[in-house]
Amino acid sequence: MSSADVSESTTPSAVDFRALLERLRPELEAIVAQYEEPRSALLPLMHRFQQEEGFVSREAMATAAEMLELTPAVVESVVSFYTLFFRKPVGKYMLQVCRGLSCVIDDAETIMAYFRKALGIGHLQTTEDGVFSYEEVECLAACDRATCMQVNLEFVYDLTPQMIDEMIAAMRSGTYPVPPLAQTRKPEKTWKVPRDVRGKSAGAQGVTNPNDPGGVGDRSGVIMLERFAQERWLQGRSRERMVSDAGEWLATNAKEKKEH
Amino acid sequence: MATTTPVLTTGIGELNLRDIDVYKAQGGYAQFERALRELSPEDVVKLTDTSVLRGRGGAGFPTGRKWQFLPKNGEPRYLVCNCDEAEPGTFKDHQLLEETPHQIIEGIALGSYAIGCRHAFIYIRGEFKRGYEIFCAAIAQARAAGYLGKGIFGSGFDLEITVHRGAGAYICGEETALLNSLEGRRGEPRLKPPFPAVKGLYQKPTVVNNVETLAYLPYILKNGPDWFKAVGTERSTGYKVVSISGHVKKPGNYEIPLGTTIREMIELAGGMREGRKCIAVQPGGGSSACLFEEHLDLPYEYESLAKAGTMLGSGAMVVFDEQTDFVKAAHALVRFFAHESCGQCTPCREGGHWLEETLERLLGGEGLDSDIDILKTASHQLTGINLCPLGDSIEPFLGSVVHRFEDQFRGYLRPRVAAGAAR
Repeated sequence: MSSADVSESTTPSAVDFRALLERLRPELEAIVAQYEEPRSALLPLMHRFQQEEGFVSREAMATAAEMLELTPAVVESVVSFYTLFFRKPVGKYMLQVCRGLSCVIDDAETIMAYFRKALGIGHLQTTEDGVFSYEEVECLAACDRATCMQVNLEFVYDLTPQMIDEMIAAMRSGTYPVPPLAQTRKPEKTWKVPRDVRGKSAGAQGVTNPNDPGGVGDRSGVIMLERFAQERWLQGRSRERMVSDAGEWLATNAKEKKEH
Repeated sequence: MATTTPVLTTGIGELNLRDIDVYKAQGGYAQFERALRELSPEDVVKLTDTSVLRGRGGAGFPTGRKWQFLPKNGEPRYLVCNCDEAEPGTFKDHQLLEETPHQIIEGIALGSYAIGCRHAFIYIRGEFKRGYEIFCAAIAQARAAGYLGKGIFGSGFDLEITVHRGAGAYICGEETALLNSLEGRRGEPRLKPPFPAVKGLYQKPTVVNNVETLAYLPYILKNGPDWFKAVGTERSTGYKVVSISGHVKKPGNYEIPLGTTIREMIELAGGMREGRKCIAVQPGGGSSACLFEEHLDLPYEYESLAKAGTMLGSGAMVVFDEQTDFVKAAHALVRFFAHESCGQCTPCREGGHWLEETLERLLGGEGLDSDIDILKTASHQLTGINLCPLGDSIEPFLGSVVHRFEDQFRGYLRPRVAAGAAR
């Protein structure tokens, strides 16, 4: 790997998808033949295309759909479920820093802040030159050597700021031992499709209390809470306490009350 | 003073067990050969059942009994080895996969022979790219040596193992989500029943076993079920690889007899760092509730931990010292589950994000007094009402620490400046 390859990242070589497919076809067919039902080959096919193209392209998804007799929509719904499939181009080095429990209690926050500052980008972003993509990921199963990360899925353990500096410098100069990812198109600022970024449902956005939906949707819960609030013995409790205390009271005392 | 008892972990760090010849020199594949020559599949099931080997993936279900749930006749049937290890704090399968792949292959082969499976699968977490490559190389070696293929050693038993790589989804460790993922679908858990033993992969009878569970099979056959039952307790027999991490001097995988006390296990891992004190332990991975100082003499086995209100789970112990910020720790775990929810069940999908947002508000210094109540009572609205255990896993750690360390959570309610001055 010469240094020129990494710095040329602004002009990635476009892939002739038809030629790529011709080359891969025997291998892809062998993958499909491993399974009793062809659809099982979907994840392996996507891994193989991503290895070549650096991300899962529309053409790759359409090809898989055709080979496995699925609709493109079904393929995309599956691909979008998995975080290791990139539906848009990414940088040459995918830096995935662990934010799992064992790393967090070992000060992963400092490491993550150091990365963000050193690269000048945040979570799920790619640098302008297309060399680095940065993501904070869930537990990587290497908690004995926290804080840890993966570079293009190769583990790096026991991170220190000094290691980060050296790593980034080596990647820029093309001397880092892990080979860069294939890059066939110029990456954008993020590789996430906006719809993928999950959170509370739209109706609950901006509402701070789960027991006070603020007029959104069905108000039966609010009506129930208001009735609870009128019960003298529940007064002074927060809404959350009312739910749990009233629930417990009902469970233990409802029968007695009936008898009276 | 407790010691480790290496069984699965024998030779790790000393021998190159990735090489089939090294593994064979240690007695590897001998039990598979013996089973094909001398034992009937029923014998293997019976030996496993007698050993009371419980599933090492998290649920702790007895392996022999799980196999017996399969219908008596009918083919095809499948064995799937679950190597989608992603429970926060767990790193045992990761090490076993990379260091001793042949042990896993022999375990899969024995399990397949026992249940009459001719095509087994191993589902490897997508992040374990290196482990996947090592395992594929080991499969090629095993095939070349005649342990896989048609009519193995003239016995009439055929076996193929397909190595399948996931693509980043914790939920695929749940067995029915794993089967969906293996079928090329979204990794969403299925409604049960039917259980996989009746309708699993491709709607055929299927057994899903953890890596560590299967890897113990050769040793149970070699030494007999009584050897396995001789350690541990009556219902938690044998050995367990425990991943110990957190504020200990020597974090790592330690293979212990079940029933070792938590205090002894912390000692094994080198004790606490720099003379600090252990104030809490999460004993069974991210899904389990915390134990505290008063629990340190509990024996580490399924029943005692369940009685203490937590679980052994995947066998991942995270140890916390007195300087731990439990608000940040709880936030890390809640964020994890919120991120990994597949989104099928409303309580899990919405509840995770509600809790994450509430904790973020607290950490940002804008917490409300009622937020503490939200955190304390969340289990009422989250637990026991989801398709799979993920939704029930969001709250136990948070619930246990918010009750124990309420002061820490309340500390965040005050403006940050005042909190700094108070210290």
